This record gives sequence, structure tokens and C-alpha cells, in this order.
Amino acid sequence: MSDPTNTGASKVGIISCSGEEIPEGTISRLATLRVLRSMRPDATVTICLPLFLAGEGGERNFAKTHPTITVDGCEKQCARWGTEQHSGPVARALVVSDMLGGDCAGCQRSMRSPGPWDENAVRIVADQIASAVDEVLREQGSEL
Amino acid sequence: MESEADKSPVLVIPCSGIGKVQGLLSREATYLVTDELAPGETDTLCLALLVKGDADAVAKVQMHKCVTIDGCGKACARKNVEMAGGRVSKAVQVAAVLKNYRGTQPGTGAILTVDGWPVAREIAETVAADAACLRAGGEVAP
Repeated sequence: MSDPTNTGASKVGIISCSGEEIPEGTISRLATLRVLRSMRPDATVTICLPLFLAGEGGERNFAKTHPTITVDGCEKQCARWGTEQHSGPVARALVVSDMLGGDCAGCQRSMRSPGPWDENAVRIVADQIASAVDEVLREQGSEL
Repeated sequence: MESEADKSPVLVIPCSGIGKVQGLLSREATYLVTDELAPGETDTLCLALLVKGDADAVAKVQMHKCVTIDGCGKACARKNVEMAGGRVSKAVQVAAVLKNYRGTQPGTGAILTVDGWPVAREIAETVAADAACLRAGGEVAP
């Protein structure tokens, strides 16, 4: 996992919804991991949301030391709320249910038997997160 | 006489760990319990919603018996349920269970392997049995 204490200015923080109750939460985490590990591994870092929300100074400084993108599963936007409440304004706030609309209807919260709907949803959301990372880096003046 | 609370679903609340297999094991074990082994007798909720202080989530953990499944020693699920005023009847730690599976490769934060699913199922079967005991008014070892 990327080191959340890494304060490199060119790193974008991505904080995913935990969303254990809903399929959108699973999509949010999987898409975030795909960006972190495969799509933009050198430009992104993350932290577990409840650890961040319940954490102390080190964790709470996360959004102060990184431009941060939140990826929420639903309109309750726990990741965005928590980040802005405890750490600072976010650079982008993405919501999976807005991005997918009805396309999430066939998705599941467990990965036991993922279907084509799940992979398609993760791909769409990961692409949008990666685009948001690129935009934020451009705004920060970092080379992509 | 059995109390009303004993008949209500036991809340199984997993850790939200995103980067390591322990977090995924905690969630998949939870879904095995709530969706396959004890549907209707157990339920789950979003940990972040609870941490955020959502009134419905806080009321839920205060009204229902809770089992937490944490990936690591930071025990975010257990600590946050307790901070919200809930009573944790059982706290499972995936890292401790994995000590019984030394040498296996259970997977990553994104996917479980054929070695990982039996770990999730072992945790789930233990939690489902504990939930049944709690609903019957019994106690389980914390």
C-alpha cells in the first residue's frame, strides 16, 4: 500500500468510501485500488477512511499534505464529509452512484462471484478517478 | 423470557481496510454471514457512516448486539462501535486467524485466492454461530 505519510507534493491522495452495506462501496474501493496500483501508481496514495476519521494528527493531516480526491459510494458522501471536516477542502469529490446511475443495478457487494456488471462498473469509475488525478496534477503544475 | 433485543438481527461490522487482504477477508466473511449463513438474523452497516455520526447508524449499534471483524490491530471497527455507544459482544481479528494459515497466500486487497476463501468461511462460520448464540440470549467469549 502506498505510504500515507509520504508528503511528496506530486502525490494525489484518494480516499474511498468504505460502503460495506452497498455494492457502490465495493466498486469504490476496487476502482480506487486499480488507480493506486495499476493506473497511476507513482502519483497516488491512500488511507483507510475510518482510520482517517478516527485517527490522530498524522492521519488527519492527510488532506493538508496531499491534494485529495474523495470517492464516495452514495449521496451521503462520508469520505468527502470526513475529509473536509477534519483535514481540509478536497480537490475533487466523485460519487459512484452519480457516475454509474442505473448501471450499478446488477452489481454485488461481495466478490465471490463477480459478473460483467461489476467489472464494467469498476472500469468506468477507475477511468474517472484516473482522469481526476490527471486534472489535479495539472492544476498542481506537476508533470504527468 | 427472551427479550425483544435478542430476536433482532445481530450487527456484523467489518473493518474498512482498503489496501491489504485482511480488510477484504473481514468484508467477505461478513457477507458470507449476512447473505448466506444467517440472512435475516444478521445485518451489517457502513463503518464510515457510523464514524461520521449518522443518527440512524448510531441508533442501530446502540440497539443491536454487535460483532466486529477487524483486519488489523488498529481495530477501527471495534473502537468506533464502542465510541458510538454500542456494545461489542465479540471482536474478531483477521490477523489472528491468519496465524493458523501460515504459508498460504490468501490474496490481496482486491481479490481472494483459493487459499483465501476458506479463511473467510472459517471466520464467517464462527461469527454465524456466535450470532445465533447471542440471539438466543447467550453470551460468547469476547
